[in-house]
Amino acid sequence: MPNAILDPTGTVTTSAAQPAAARAPRRASLNGARVGLLINTKTNARPFLDEVGRLLTERYGVTVTRRTKTNFAVPEPEDIIKEMAQESDVVVTGVGDCGSCSAAAAADGVVLEAAGVPVAVIVTDSFRATADAMASLRGAPGYRYAVTAHPVAVLAEDQVKARAAQVLDHVVALLTQPGNAGE
Amino acid sequence: MTADNAVGAAAAAPTPAPTLASAAPDPDEAQRAIEYCYEQGWSDGLPLVPASKPLVDQFLATTDKDPGEIIGSLEQVGRDCTVYLAAVNAAMAGCRPEYFPVVLAAFEALMRERAARGGGFQSTSGPAPLIVVNGPVRQQLGFNTAGGAFGPGFRPNMTIPRAIGLMVRNAFGIHPHVFEQATQGVPGRWSICIAENEEESPWEPLAANGGAGGGVSAVSATLTRTMEFVDNRHAPNPEDVLRDFQDTISRIGSQIFPKSAVALVLCPEHAQMFASAGLSKADVQNWLLERSGRTVGEFRRAGKAEVTSRRFGPPGAAGAGHDDGPPRADEEFHPILNGPQSIPIVVAGAKNAAISMVVRIFGEWSGTSVPVGEKK
Repeated sequence: MPNAILDPTGTVTTSAAQPAAARAPRRASLNGARVGLLINTKTNARPFLDEVGRLLTERYGVTVTRRTKTNFAVPEPEDIIKEMAQESDVVVTGVGDCGSCSAAAAADGVVLEAAGVPVAVIVTDSFRATADAMASLRGAPGYRYAVTAHPVAVLAEDQVKARAAQVLDHVVALLTQPGNAGE
Repeated sequence: MTADNAVGAAAAAPTPAPTLASAAPDPDEAQRAIEYCYEQGWSDGLPLVPASKPLVDQFLATTDKDPGEIIGSLEQVGRDCTVYLAAVNAAMAGCRPEYFPVVLAAFEALMRERAARGGGFQSTSGPAPLIVVNGPVRQQLGFNTAGGAFGPGFRPNMTIPRAIGLMVRNAFGIHPHVFEQATQGVPGRWSICIAENEEESPWEPLAANGGAGGGVSAVSATLTRTMEFVDNRHAPNPEDVLRDFQDTISRIGSQIFPKSAVALVLCPEHAQMFASAGLSKADVQNWLLERSGRTVGEFRRAGKAEVTSRRFGPPGAAGAGHDDGPPRADEEFHPILNGPQSIPIVVAGAKNAAISMVVRIFGEWSGTSVPVGEKK
């Protein structure tokens, strides 16, 4: 009998892979919500998310807390996720505008969702493939996120604010509309 | 075409003599096996050697490690690489079984790099591993230690880095256009494995700098973002040549963080010139460390003011998180290298022209080398 050709691929073996990650129930409204901003430190991510926070405060009277990712390239450590889940009713994170940070943003979103927090992940349109792949890998195929045009890093201050305003309705919808929980 | 011509053409064609039990393998069967590997999505684009259990067992027999031992993990995608998967991929890459201890050492060295564990394989930079082999294993396995150090032409130099690339693709599942998001990538990716020209180097081998000791077979590895020649075969004065290196190292184009690192792959002629002037590796590193960089104004004029900004970037970067203080003056010098460890020096290539390479490192070299394991 001839020898079989051996398979060189691995299987998903560590805890990062979830068979099916639960998604958080959406909030009926953002009125008075505690919004956590998880800023991934990429150029213009801070002013982008700050503006989202400012607009949400203006519109819904939310309170905003900011956290800076310890390493934009990889998913946030478990203890930080736990703290964020306690201190925030919803989370907005981004901007995923590179190979590793777009995947990490999607992973943070899925993990926070499983901890019960609705999340709006923001990535640039060049990185849909890697965000989708990471969401699938983490047990959330079809996970919905907000998209803004690439690039973001080169935008001037007023352009960043305009982008934040453009994406705001989608961010609100992601956090409040039941369909975005993936049911 | 006439019938006569057709007959003549057929008569002129060589007819292979029928062989009795031919020693040569069946090419049709080999091609089917190669195509099968392509169809599974395992290939980097070039044909793979179909791996069978008897072949992989020969690889596994070269190490004391258990086939199930995990030798590297990419936590963000939840994937591990075991000794077994390394062996299958090394076989498919075209390695000989006896190369396998070098593959294992190279992978261990690469996975010591913070950048490799932390998303480097997914990066838009598309970084290429630079693998450096030292010690007697270079001759034992037939590495090229002379001209054409960056390849191609030599089986161990070509297949060992390819094996690492296949491990990243297949064991870690990092595929182009999905988790691998290289914008253009570095030329030579997955094909750079230098065996240091220790015989013509005036200095200690890289593995000694990496703590593995001199004369020991060991592998060092880092990720590189790009590279550029310093072709200086005219200057008789070592300081002029150092200034030429300084100029190339100080280029703004690839700088995206306040600090960066470069490896110098020096040709024997440059290395010997420096050594004859009494310079050690550390002397060369310190000379360049002090002088490599540009002024704040030069960065600003190239649209890279952010690189020198105090409020720059990711945590851990110099100046991160500080957005107070006055703006830096245009004439202020901004040094780009962190310390001697950010300038590893290797001697490689032929002693036939004074051409060396400045290799830009993705992140920073771990500063450690991994001895090649021997089966006890």
